[in-house]
Amino acid sequence: MLLDTYLPIAIFAVIALGVPIFAFWLNRFFRPTKKTALKTETYECGEVPIGTAKIQFHFQFYMFAIIFVVFDLITVFLMIWALDFANLSFDAKMLMLAFFGLLLVGVFYALRKEEKLWI
Amino acid sequence: MYIDIWQFLGGLVHWLLVDIIGPILGWIGFHGLESWLGSPGVLNFVTILLVALIVFTVGMLVAITHIWQERKTLGRLMDRRGTQVGPIGLFQNFADGLKVLVKEAIIPDAADPLVYNAAPVIIIGVSLFMFVTIPYSQGFYVANPQMSVLLTLAIFSLVPFGVLIGGWASNNKYTLIGGLRAAAQIIAYEIPLLLSVIGVIILAGSLNFMDIVAYQQSHVWMVVPMILGFVVFIISMNAELERVPFDLPEAEAELVEGWMTEFGGMKFGLIMMSEYARGFVGASIATLLFLGGWDMPSFLQFIPDELWFLAKVFAVFGLFIWIRGAMPRVRTDQILAIGWKRLLPLAAINIFIAIIFKTLGWF
Repeated sequence: MLLDTYLPIAIFAVIALGVPIFAFWLNRFFRPTKKTALKTETYECGEVPIGTAKIQFHFQFYMFAIIFVVFDLITVFLMIWALDFANLSFDAKMLMLAFFGLLLVGVFYALRKEEKLWI
Repeated sequence: MYIDIWQFLGGLVHWLLVDIIGPILGWIGFHGLESWLGSPGVLNFVTILLVALIVFTVGMLVAITHIWQERKTLGRLMDRRGTQVGPIGLFQNFADGLKVLVKEAIIPDAADPLVYNAAPVIIIGVSLFMFVTIPYSQGFYVANPQMSVLLTLAIFSLVPFGVLIGGWASNNKYTLIGGLRAAAQIIAYEIPLLLSVIGVIILAGSLNFMDIVAYQQSHVWMVVPMILGFVVFIISMNAELERVPFDLPEAEAELVEGWMTEFGGMKFGLIMMSEYARGFVGASIATLLFLGGWDMPSFLQFIPDELWFLAKVFAVFGLFIWIRGAMPRVRTDQILAIGWKRLLPLAAINIFIAIIFKTLGWF
């Protein structure tokens, strides 16, 4: 039963991943190859690039990333809760809403605090 | 009226393998091969393969037509004619496809070759993989798992991974900034997108596209009670697709072409096409969840469901194009604030509206 549902998905995944690989392989027989030193240089609007781009980038969105992880979890919980909403007891509905509200308050507090820390 | 593609192709494959090729093989003397071809497992596998190929081709063609639609409509919005090759400009995209096929493939010296070559495969493959759960009608689909909405949204969130590693592996400052911007933007808008879907799930009580459309056929289109959720969904989907009001990851005025700067030739062509494939999937999710899928007025029942669905998808994508033609780009420092401080509260309010409607039993 599970295989009946998910076998088409697996076959479709193989087709979808195979198409770009096949297209790049097919491209090999049609394209010219005239390699020069200027072509393979990093593009920076005609300037000679200074240094490398593989630097320790200051990830200024880290705060949003942390909030995102928390909220992604609550979203999955909410989805499961919403799926069976009609059959839940009053207590279950209220508890989940209280949990959601608590996290919303937390997010708004973090965002208000973040505004001062914004770089 | 709808086409049951599984029944049709299952019958076709059975007729072809059991009634035509099987007797020929038996006549030649391959009796083992004949019985193997006639076994249910092989018939089932060939049917799945054919269905997958047909749905894949239809999805690709719709995505290419979306490119044509965008170029024509944007042309008209900017007071010009748009594409001109072929009848009403329909062949321009195929001409462009041929052009990128004969372009030289250049790998920058500074790039990381393995990741640089793998990133387009991930981005394009995942974008095309998203066609898998989209039902065009009750019979025209590849897979219909119970949790198809969740599966589609989960596949949707795999793309920024490819964008991030693609931007890093090109070893260019523009691509690095573009990739990080894309990651930050897409995670910021993923939350309102998912929360606006939760309102629909509460009302319909299902995570399956078919059940949600069946609910809308028997009750009312979700856009009526969930108008706030629909607005939040359309805005967040625009940001997820990196389309114009939110195209900061590829802001051509400041970042050349964003994370795509170092990808040329075939890689660039397929990445551009995969963006429209994602646009098609985004528009069809909006259609299925909010606009009734293939639901139609009863006096127009003679038009096939698939055409109704595609007409609505083209209308939703037309809305995206209109937004693109009308809106200026959002400023860099405002983009995350819009997602977190405006759309998130609106999506939360939408959930409360859904709870109130469900508790009162109105919808």
